[in-house]
Amino acid sequence: MSNFKFQLAVFVGRIVRFFGKFVDRSTNLPGSIAMKICPNFLSQFKFKGKIIAVTGSNGKTTTSNLIAHILRENGYSVANNSEGANISAGIATTLLVNCDYSGFVDYDFVVLETDERYSPLIYKHFQPDYFLINNLFRDQVVRNGNPDIIFDKISAAIGPDVTLVLNAQDPIINRLAPENKRILFGMERTERSEEKSVFLTHDCKVCPQCFHTLKYDFYHFNHIGQFHCDNCGYSAQTPDYVASDVDFESGDYKINGIDAHVTYNTIFHFMNSTGAVAVCTEVGVPIEKAIEALGTFQVSRERYDEMEFDGRKYVLILTKQNAASLDQSISFVLSQPGEKTALLYVNNVLYTEKKDISWLYDVTFERLKGNVDSIVCSGTRALDIAVRLRLGGFDDDEMVVVNDIDNIKEDMKKTKGTVYILAASAFGNEDGIIAALSK
Amino acid sequence: MKPAKKKNTALNTQKSAKKDIKILHIYSDAMDLYGDYFNVICVKQSLEKRGFKCSVDTTGIGDAINPNGYDMVYIGHGKARNVAAVSEHFVNYANDVKAAVNGGTVFFVTGSARLLFGKEFTTAEGEVKPGIGLFDYVGYDTGKVFTSDVVGKLMTSSGESDIMTYGFVNRTHYISGENEHPLFKVLKGAGDGEGEESEDGFEGTLYKNFFGTWQMGPLLARNPAILEEIVKRILGNNYVKPDKNDGKSLEEKALELTLSEFELDK
Repeated sequence: MSNFKFQLAVFVGRIVRFFGKFVDRSTNLPGSIAMKICPNFLSQFKFKGKIIAVTGSNGKTTTSNLIAHILRENGYSVANNSEGANISAGIATTLLVNCDYSGFVDYDFVVLETDERYSPLIYKHFQPDYFLINNLFRDQVVRNGNPDIIFDKISAAIGPDVTLVLNAQDPIINRLAPENKRILFGMERTERSEEKSVFLTHDCKVCPQCFHTLKYDFYHFNHIGQFHCDNCGYSAQTPDYVASDVDFESGDYKINGIDAHVTYNTIFHFMNSTGAVAVCTEVGVPIEKAIEALGTFQVSRERYDEMEFDGRKYVLILTKQNAASLDQSISFVLSQPGEKTALLYVNNVLYTEKKDISWLYDVTFERLKGNVDSIVCSGTRALDIAVRLRLGGFDDDEMVVVNDIDNIKEDMKKTKGTVYILAASAFGNEDGIIAALSK
Repeated sequence: MKPAKKKNTALNTQKSAKKDIKILHIYSDAMDLYGDYFNVICVKQSLEKRGFKCSVDTTGIGDAINPNGYDMVYIGHGKARNVAAVSEHFVNYANDVKAAVNGGTVFFVTGSARLLFGKEFTTAEGEVKPGIGLFDYVGYDTGKVFTSDVVGKLMTSSGESDIMTYGFVNRTHYISGENEHPLFKVLKGAGDGEGEESEDGFEGTLYKNFFGTWQMGPLLARNPAILEEIVKRILGNNYVKPDKNDGKSLEEKALELTLSEFELDK
């Protein structure tokens, strides 16, 4: 391997990065070009500090940014892909920006949010010291398919020396690399825990080991909870880092008995924060200091926006393209006070124009029943949303179907209260509905 | 608790002459992906709207399977490892299941559950798993996901109908072998075989009252005509048309719109 090729790749990558910033192509393109110039590009780096990789279906951006935040608050230097460029090219970009021309990455820590599908392609070049995995859910069906496939991809990325940091209450991910050292985090029963799953999406109804019915003492959400199999004994292990006394109102809770506070009080965030504290404590931050830093973290609001049209408040909540993520957005809507309308916007899948909406049948819209004034169905698949809602027990007078998006303002007059726009990015583009509303 | 329920049923049977319909949902927990369960809800609601009572029983891998006494049996699409695991269990009940199909019980089988009814199938790791051998096809798991919109024409016992359908596949498996009794003539998208585009092929199985298809998710919610065909066969002589307002139903309009987005050759 010629050193020259690597240096050229770094040099060109940085130039592309510089100019790419002006055209919004600065996250993946530089790395992608560098990997073309130097085929083994990702293998050429040498790291001063530890590498922490983060993956999972939901919450990986927030969790990895939170880990970087805690480490920085505690005086460490950290390189990370905070913009969420999490495929091979994005990670190459992050590294080429933060290395010298010999490939040396002179940071105390490198924190890498990693796309679960790309993890084996990235970590065949270098291995993380710690690999935090939050959860695995069925992804939107037009893409990946089911969690088994993702599980296999992540398994292939984990070498024998990687320490896993796992959510102890996800029965799918706890079967990853059983021989590896593992640190577990989990959460005690909360006031929102359920004895029975209230969600339609439950990706682990049977034990992943013996395929008998998996039982739960309680559920936090979807398939995340205190599970056990009566047939083979597979069960949630006692976590090393445990969240307790969760107060959803104030954001206060405890980790291993120590007072903690989060600024964004969803159950996902309490859980993710516990995982972040776990990994930071393992790498040497005193647990009290790690917990203290949680309180100063600002969750990126790029997936959330408030606006006003015709004197009425609209809240845009962009979800990921999977049912579990939309379920969480619904939880958010339910937690808001006052009269409200849910506005669903679902188009054909971007790029492929595929017309599948089966994932909407995995979303528990039923929870909205009686809790919203009405549900507005919009986008190219508006009628299909209405069919779905009707099967879920919604009456026709609880739904407004927008047949023509240009007329949406008229349709909205039939509804009351704050409008929560639930739009999934892969079914984009949410700009379309915002444009129609602001006309 | 249980005796009280029985009493109720008896009371209701007396009140209405209509037959109570029983659905058996096999592997409701292990074979559960992408909202397939709504196919059962569609059938149930459709029957209830016509005044029939309808109950659904579920069984798992720890239970015996006995389709006797059921009007419809449903098995949905499952993850690759799950279908491999249940195949070893399902084959123990091959005779009862085959007898039920041959006796005319309605079966609706979606996605990877179809593999259970062929001769055998090979997993991505190369292991051979048993089918009950009702049909001659064999299955293969490529380990790679492919997805496809599928537009087809529904086949009936008397051949090709003019009922247009839309469905979606997301699978790692395919089946090969002579398809004597297809359920759909494929106009657009994937047929039974390997690969995303097998145009002008056939898809699925229609044999007696057995309906099998790769098209996953809530197929019956998106295709009211297939739902009606299944309800018709469940009810047999007791069949009554649904209460219908004039004009097209919401479901029909939704399907029509979807189909209109495809460029189809005449």
